[in-house]
Amino acid sequence: MTLVQHRQQPLPESAAADRPYRGESYYGMPPLKPSPWDWTVSGYIFLAGLSGAAQALAYIGQRIDRAAYSGVRRTARAMATAGSAAGAVLLIIDLRTPRRWYNMLRIFRPTSPMSFGSYILTAFGGFSALTLLGEFVDGRGRLGRAAEAAAEKAQAGAAVTGAAASTYTAALLSATSTPYWAAAPRHLGVLFASSAVASGAAALSLGERLAGRTHTSRRLDSVAALATVVQVVTAFDARRRLAHAGMPERLEQQPAGRTLKVSEFVLAGAVPLVAYALNRRRGGGSAGLSVAGSVSLLAGAWLFRHSLLKIGMESAKDPQAQFAFAQPRRRLAASPEKPRRLP
Amino acid sequence: MKQTNEADGWRNEAERTAGTHIEPGRSYGFFTDTTLCIGCKACEVACKEWNQLPAEAAALTGMSYDNTGALSATTWRHVAFVEQMAGDGERPDGMPPLQSRWLMMSDVCKHCDPAPCLEACPTGAIFRTEFDTVVVQQDICNGCGYCVPACPFGVVAVDELDGKAHKCTLCYDRLKGGMEPACSKVCPTESIQFGEVDELQERARDRVAALHGRGVADAYLYGAPDTPGATGGINQLNAFFLLLDRPETYNLPMAPSRPAERIAPAFGTGLAVFAGLALAAAGLLTSGAGRHR
Repeated sequence: MTLVQHRQQPLPESAAADRPYRGESYYGMPPLKPSPWDWTVSGYIFLAGLSGAAQALAYIGQRIDRAAYSGVRRTARAMATAGSAAGAVLLIIDLRTPRRWYNMLRIFRPTSPMSFGSYILTAFGGFSALTLLGEFVDGRGRLGRAAEAAAEKAQAGAAVTGAAASTYTAALLSATSTPYWAAAPRHLGVLFASSAVASGAAALSLGERLAGRTHTSRRLDSVAALATVVQVVTAFDARRRLAHAGMPERLEQQPAGRTLKVSEFVLAGAVPLVAYALNRRRGGGSAGLSVAGSVSLLAGAWLFRHSLLKIGMESAKDPQAQFAFAQPRRRLAASPEKPRRLP
Repeated sequence: MKQTNEADGWRNEAERTAGTHIEPGRSYGFFTDTTLCIGCKACEVACKEWNQLPAEAAALTGMSYDNTGALSATTWRHVAFVEQMAGDGERPDGMPPLQSRWLMMSDVCKHCDPAPCLEACPTGAIFRTEFDTVVVQQDICNGCGYCVPACPFGVVAVDELDGKAHKCTLCYDRLKGGMEPACSKVCPTESIQFGEVDELQERARDRVAALHGRGVADAYLYGAPDTPGATGGINQLNAFFLLLDRPETYNLPMAPSRPAERIAPAFGTGLAVFAGLALAAAGLLTSGAGRHR
């Protein structure tokens, strides 16, 4: 009650708090603590995107032409099962108290991508294992038919949870206070989705190419190329958005900034696009070009995740990045103040 | 309710030391008035002693009298020293004797409402106590470290030695015993004041008005409702401050924001683009399908 009374008389304006930000900091000390993540987390994000997109593409292929895409489906099912299992292991290795990994499933918290992501990964891994089981039965007998039907149903589940597994990781980064990730949540969403589809298609194409199925591989190359175009365009626009949010230029010039650029625009950008385009001109018959494009794309997709983690951690330690990002006009424009809960 | 009998006397020690009756179900916090801080660091020492926190590598930082540097897994109070002199890097000769401005501020976990670290914690190790404070349960935490980048103030940290996240508990154990936190109890100038949050906010507003009346035009609150620090979905900081310069001077953000508000834009956009690409892929995978068969 007292609070309400006091609010009627506004606080006097402060001369110090009202003047614009002029680059002040506390002896240049880091204003934030960087996330304690290394290659295990970037590896997981890469695997989740790759496997999730592969299962979604396999489902689409299955709906279009069962027979033509049976190889794609088999690869996707095996890749996703192995990928989600390996991803889970990587995440557990990353814990500082790994023996308590099961506490991740102790509660469900919609405000924490780390929490709901654990459930997404669990569901995706479960669906993928079921789909893989379908590859080992021949569909004869009651049990065989039931297993095949279950695998069929699970494929849809794997496609949906796969979409979630490959994109929730954008929220995992954006829903922190790390300025480089927090300043452009929508861009991160587009980047992670397009990069996941590109790497999923590239990995499946690689599998088809190695098995000598050129016709499916060629179409998968087109999917990878389209997703790559979306990724490259968004990466350009993300830089504009980050500069607008006051991200200092020096971040881009650090090693992490340079590898980020190389991965986004060269390894997972220009190289696969040129390789796929040249191959298309030759009628899609060149296995070498297709394989080169896909391998470069996959390497670039992981390096993109890894450099993005690193540059984010650098931005957390940079007072200019954090304080320019955390200025009122931007926050007010981004999220209007909600009505306050009275104590 | 506030009656103190013989048996209750030691149980509600805070009534005598802080003028506050501690009982579950109410909101408690700190009001740190930096105009009263003399930089004695008694709060840092009391915190380390009570919470049995180990010392960190001792070295001179060159940052005025601040040799602590920052809050960490084993440092839950940190006194910042800001020496402001005439000109940029010049000797303070240009100023009248003893007139350089020396800002001192005892920093601590803000026990935000809502708390980003708690909202990020996937195990439920971080919880809101019956005193409306935010505490990490050491027997639950598995050291995933997601609370670390979630904190908009760089407070919580993971200790590599024991593999758990640590931060100020607002002396949860002392509150349970009716005692005020160690740092506020030991503060010799009442720069750190412990009490019920709305009562502290009232006191702080009066203090700002009084300071402005005395010509201290820079004084403002950081973290009280409708002030810097309580922005972007963070309603208030249960440990709030009275500051004399821009927040960045003390290593605090002007407008922190609640990370959870960025889940929907990131995840939603990601799913939408994934769906769009899947549709396009359906088209691309169809073209000429079956021709081969």
